[in-house]
Amino acid sequence: MTTTGGAGMPHWHVSEELAGRYAAGSVPETDAWSVEKHVETCGGCAARLSAAVRVRPETGAVLDGVRAGVLAAVAAEAAPAKKPVRVAARGPVRGPARGLVRLTAPRTAAADGAPAKKPVPVAPFRFAGAATRAGRLLWAAGPALRGSWLVALVLVAVGAVALAYGAGAGEAVRPLLLVVAPVLPLAGVGLSYGRHADPMYEITAATPSGGLRLLLTRTAAVLVLSIPALTLAGAALPASAGRPGAAAWLLPGLAMTLAALALGSYVGCRTGATSIAVAWAAAVVLPVFAASPPAALAAATGAARYFAGPAAQAAWAAGALVCAALLAVRRRSFDHLETL
Amino acid sequence: MSGTEAVNTVEVRALTVRHRRTTALDAVDLDFAPGVHGLLGPNGAGKTSLIRVLATVAAPSGGRVELLGSEVGAGSDHRSRAAVRRRLGYLPQEFGYYPGFTVREFVSYVAWLKEMDAAAVPAAVERVVARVGLADRIDARVKTLSGGMVRRVGIAQAIVNSPDLLLLDEPTAGLDPEQRVEFRALIRELGRSTTVIVSTHLVEDVAAACTDVTLIEAGRIAYRSTTRELTELGGTGDGGAEQPDGNPIERGYTAALRAHRAGVANR
Repeated sequence: MTTTGGAGMPHWHVSEELAGRYAAGSVPETDAWSVEKHVETCGGCAARLSAAVRVRPETGAVLDGVRAGVLAAVAAEAAPAKKPVRVAARGPVRGPARGLVRLTAPRTAAADGAPAKKPVPVAPFRFAGAATRAGRLLWAAGPALRGSWLVALVLVAVGAVALAYGAGAGEAVRPLLLVVAPVLPLAGVGLSYGRHADPMYEITAATPSGGLRLLLTRTAAVLVLSIPALTLAGAALPASAGRPGAAAWLLPGLAMTLAALALGSYVGCRTGATSIAVAWAAAVVLPVFAASPPAALAAATGAARYFAGPAAQAAWAAGALVCAALLAVRRRSFDHLETL
Repeated sequence: MSGTEAVNTVEVRALTVRHRRTTALDAVDLDFAPGVHGLLGPNGAGKTSLIRVLATVAAPSGGRVELLGSEVGAGSDHRSRAAVRRRLGYLPQEFGYYPGFTVREFVSYVAWLKEMDAAAVPAAVERVVARVGLADRIDARVKTLSGGMVRRVGIAQAIVNSPDLLLLDEPTAGLDPEQRVEFRALIRELGRSTTVIVSTHLVEDVAAACTDVTLIEAGRIAYRSTTRELTELGGTGDGGAEQPDGNPIERGYTAALRAHRAGVANR
């Protein structure tokens, strides 16, 4: 980088050597940003950089792609197209190619200093835009709602129905679903909160809502999705007399989720959720090992006693209340998120 | 470092931060009043640990931390800590974002987390995004922005609530020289009414933007003075043998650091 001192703002320019290194992709990322920012307003350096990039053989394909994108964008602007055409190359573009794409992308009228056309407000579109923004904010409120957890939820719900009707497992599937159902919200909570789960953790931790309020918001998002999905799936399964109903997992699921949060106030949500899930799995599986040869269906059938009857449900309700009370007492522990 | 009339907005007494067996901060005492204050020091000196405690992200291992008139250290009241966080702005050294977020959504989301009045958020978001020079990119996805632009988005989220205490950890990292000049002007302006604490390893940031400087070395306060005094310390070039071409404040920094190390060695 060539720097020329001055009385006012410092002026620096891209040297031949720096342009060559930029073209070769060997400039550190932060220096590359500086170069790219600078050439937006410096014609001389832009020409120097362009020349350095152009002589490299691998840029030919990128240039062709950018050219095709520019032509498509121009054609789209000329025609009354309804959908915007994306000019940027697909996928991550690194090194000089990334800068090249940015440098050669068509500038908007506003960027060129020309007065931009005033957008015509159209009520339904504006409403759609606001709804999209609200949706994205809600989406961000629950990291667990993206990715593998949501896939797991759908797989369990659809898989249970498929197993019952497609594989002929019939009445045996509902107890199995009841055993698995409380674990899914636990996984969602474990994946929702804390340094490992939240890319904005560091900023979030310094805000007044970054503690229990955010944790409960994200837990609610997990429950709002998992409760109807799993309960409806259970209701769609063949029932048998004397076995727990499709909603029998709700109180156990709530109690376990609150227990994970309460335990999480001591050891972090991920560890808390994992501990409760392991304890539940042990309660389901160990009695089967103690008796006859283990089998998933046998374990599930045996675990039905944890759900069946008013006494069991009342015990879960009491457990949920105790965990909720403990969570309220421990709410301050979520203020300092460093260890959670 | 504060003036005699100014009320301290930050008071730290015997602050100690330990990471397992490492002591990041060792019984540090500090006061800050409104203005722009620089935290200088080598990598690993404890600057980020101090900023994170002041941002109420990390709990101190010991000592007392009072921000904006309220105790926020261990055992402090939950409500007063929440009240302080509403008046706090924090730019971490590194931060992530949700890939689908636009600049507007990112800053709005932080405004929601800071419990700002919902009716005031849209205007506040547009104001701060314009202030960091990204008005024309407000509806662009954050992931499409350059590193320097993302840094400016981070600054926007930090000031969206017009904080009384603004904590900036390496704020000029990734900014090009022109952006740095603009940014320093911005924090000088913010410092007129706000307590701004800037952690940086760039002496030029301190020289250009800060009214005073605190030099941290190995978890201890090595030197405190106004920026002018630090510049005067290096003015003769006596301490600048390692940086013969450095400017006076760089030489002052080197001299202060060397004097502190000599003092520690003689104890």
